[in-house]
Amino acid sequence: MRQMIKDARIAGLTEGTEVADLYWRDGVIEGVGVGGEVDRVWEAKGAFLAPALMDLQAHFCDPGQEVREGLAAGMKAAAAGGFGTVVVMPDTEPVLDDAAQVAHLQARAEALGGVRVRVAGALSRGLNGEQIADLAALQQAGVVLATDGVMAVRDGHLFRRACEYAEELGLLVQGGGLDRNLCQAGVMHEGRVSERLGLPGQPAIAERLALYRDAEIARMTGARVHFGHVTTSESVELLAWLRAQGAPISVGTTPHHLLLSEESMAPFDPRCKVFPPLRPPSDAKALRQALIDGKIDCIATDHQPWTLAEKEQDLVQAPAGIAGLETAWAVLYTALVVPRLLTVERLLELWTSGPARVMGWKEPRLVAGEAADMVLLDLDTPRPVEPMGFFSKSRISPWDGQNLCGWPIATFVRGQCCFTREGFGEASRTSVHRTERL
Amino acid sequence: MMEAVQIRHRHLLDLEDWSASEIESLWRTTDAMVEVMQRKVKKVPALQGLTIVTLFFENSTRTRLSFERAAKAQSAEVLNFAAGGSSLSKGESLKDTLKAIDAMQADLYVVRHGVAGTPHQMSRWTDASIVNAGDGRRAHPTQALLDGYTFRQGFRGFDGFRGKRLVIVGDVMHSRVARSNIGLWTKLGAEVVLCGPRTLLPTELGQWPGVQRCFRLEEAVEGAHAVMALRMQRERMQSGLFPSVSEYQARYQLTAKVMERAHPDALVMHPGPMNRDVEIEGVLADSPRSVIEQQVAHGVPVRMAVLYSLLVGRAR
Repeated sequence: MRQMIKDARIAGLTEGTEVADLYWRDGVIEGVGVGGEVDRVWEAKGAFLAPALMDLQAHFCDPGQEVREGLAAGMKAAAAGGFGTVVVMPDTEPVLDDAAQVAHLQARAEALGGVRVRVAGALSRGLNGEQIADLAALQQAGVVLATDGVMAVRDGHLFRRACEYAEELGLLVQGGGLDRNLCQAGVMHEGRVSERLGLPGQPAIAERLALYRDAEIARMTGARVHFGHVTTSESVELLAWLRAQGAPISVGTTPHHLLLSEESMAPFDPRCKVFPPLRPPSDAKALRQALIDGKIDCIATDHQPWTLAEKEQDLVQAPAGIAGLETAWAVLYTALVVPRLLTVERLLELWTSGPARVMGWKEPRLVAGEAADMVLLDLDTPRPVEPMGFFSKSRISPWDGQNLCGWPIATFVRGQCCFTREGFGEASRTSVHRTERL
Repeated sequence: MMEAVQIRHRHLLDLEDWSASEIESLWRTTDAMVEVMQRKVKKVPALQGLTIVTLFFENSTRTRLSFERAAKAQSAEVLNFAAGGSSLSKGESLKDTLKAIDAMQADLYVVRHGVAGTPHQMSRWTDASIVNAGDGRRAHPTQALLDGYTFRQGFRGFDGFRGKRLVIVGDVMHSRVARSNIGLWTKLGAEVVLCGPRTLLPTELGQWPGVQRCFRLEEAVEGAHAVMALRMQRERMQSGLFPSVSEYQARYQLTAKVMERAHPDALVMHPGPMNRDVEIEGVLADSPRSVIEQQVAHGVPVRMAVLYSLLVGRAR
């Protein structure tokens, strides 16, 4: 099937308000302005066409806790957020530490069609931090990243051996985010606000020390280690320094750590409980600066869905996590690009070629011969965040009700449309150029 | 029966947004309630026809009884709900638990919960008034109100809080009583000195306006007008916060001897329940300086005043 997006501003190809038409056949881009008959025309009307976004960290809770998300809902939510590729985390029930499980999950995702689902496998068996998982078998089954989650592996020796093993396989490891012992029972960042609220805090050094150990192990073993949720100014500086010393590491952060702060917890709002916790505004500011400086390689959602009943608890009971797939691009575009703190090109890089470089994948570009994984973004029309309309089963958002710009209006993966926002694409259906093929 | 108080609040979640004059007004209502509790028939019809539900997610028989007495002395209906464990263990969210109880058409909830902020969350889910009877380590406003009231009544020649010094000794970190008293006393112009092992005195608290930290009891007590010892829980040793009870006693037990350094009229307070001879010397607790029994006795009239002010006397 041959398709065309008409009158789009195209990332990296058009300037300013100039528009062009992009053609693709089946799953492969043919190029701009190629001409010729097509089966379907999508009227972009000046919307911005970019490579589909990539998310290196999302929790789909599948298998085991499909009540929270599940593969189908998660993939739809990802498509609605403009993502073409999502790496799903292994903290499922059972844990993704078994090659057959991984293969089965991928087969189910293939059968559903749409967003490309890649799997992060457990670094240790059962995520118990005691025995290295069968990393070679997992990799064979398609695992692209090994991680035990946000809490650092307790045993530094095990992490070292796992890194050596993964290095030999060429498998990327995700490093720890927080030192469990220092975190204790803390539910938020320890400091001025936690004392005011009377909530137990976790000290910022719980993050820095965990990162430091794992980054030094990366340097010693040569294993590529990614730190996916770096949240403090000092962590960013530490990792930049270690990278300058030759540690083969990469750095990511999340939309909520870039935009929200510990102050968001002040109304006792469990929606904003997340690990690592939201930090003081000065840290969020430093993270935003690090996006510009290049000390951060990519942004990931750390999409962590919970049901309303789970979140509507007191702040100790309420689980940590924010479900952000559907708002990730729009919140950052509105907060950073609209006020000209960041260029749209750089924000796009942080969601496309940035994560691709971290993973060792080919950087996506909208040129002939490349995969037709694309997102069409409406950069101008403000719309409110309406969690009740989310595809995600987790209809909770810290940005509930806020008016945002930049919303994805259509997402294409392997050339096939897997999401259109209401109202888009209706008119174009009537203008399809049908041709007799010989 | 009594002058109308001009209190604007629907809830008593903490004292942060209560002005000094609102607090004084509440204490004037308390004076009237003290008088009621001295009558032969200790009952007035002020809250007749109103329903108060005590919602205790954390056990505290004394506080619950004190609220229940305060409500019944004003002829309110009282229902008690004790949710020992978490609501989640029953598969119900906190919001659903509250919604279910809301069907009882209560006018006011008295909430005790082990986690800070729960009364605030609940105030978003119901039209009834909420009185915080203690949330996590955050606030216990009626305790602070009765402590302040006790000082106001008991300090010889009381001429206001300005220039007075309160010393709070012990596990400040985990204490909602300490946090609420710090807020109340500094709002009224007093200074607060926090004393105890460094592990139990959060740095951030010491930076609040009007608050200082001091790690030596003898120095902290110097010239103090009131000294409050906090309950020391033995569990804290296991979490590595201090080495042993004997070391704590040696360094921080409030004794008659150390009180000699305080102002000659200084009062000794304790929010209870007391570990005699751990955080406070037994003979000191029974000495004329001690107002610990008055604190308990003031619990009912202060809570009567709170319920009355929120339900009836509120400026609308």
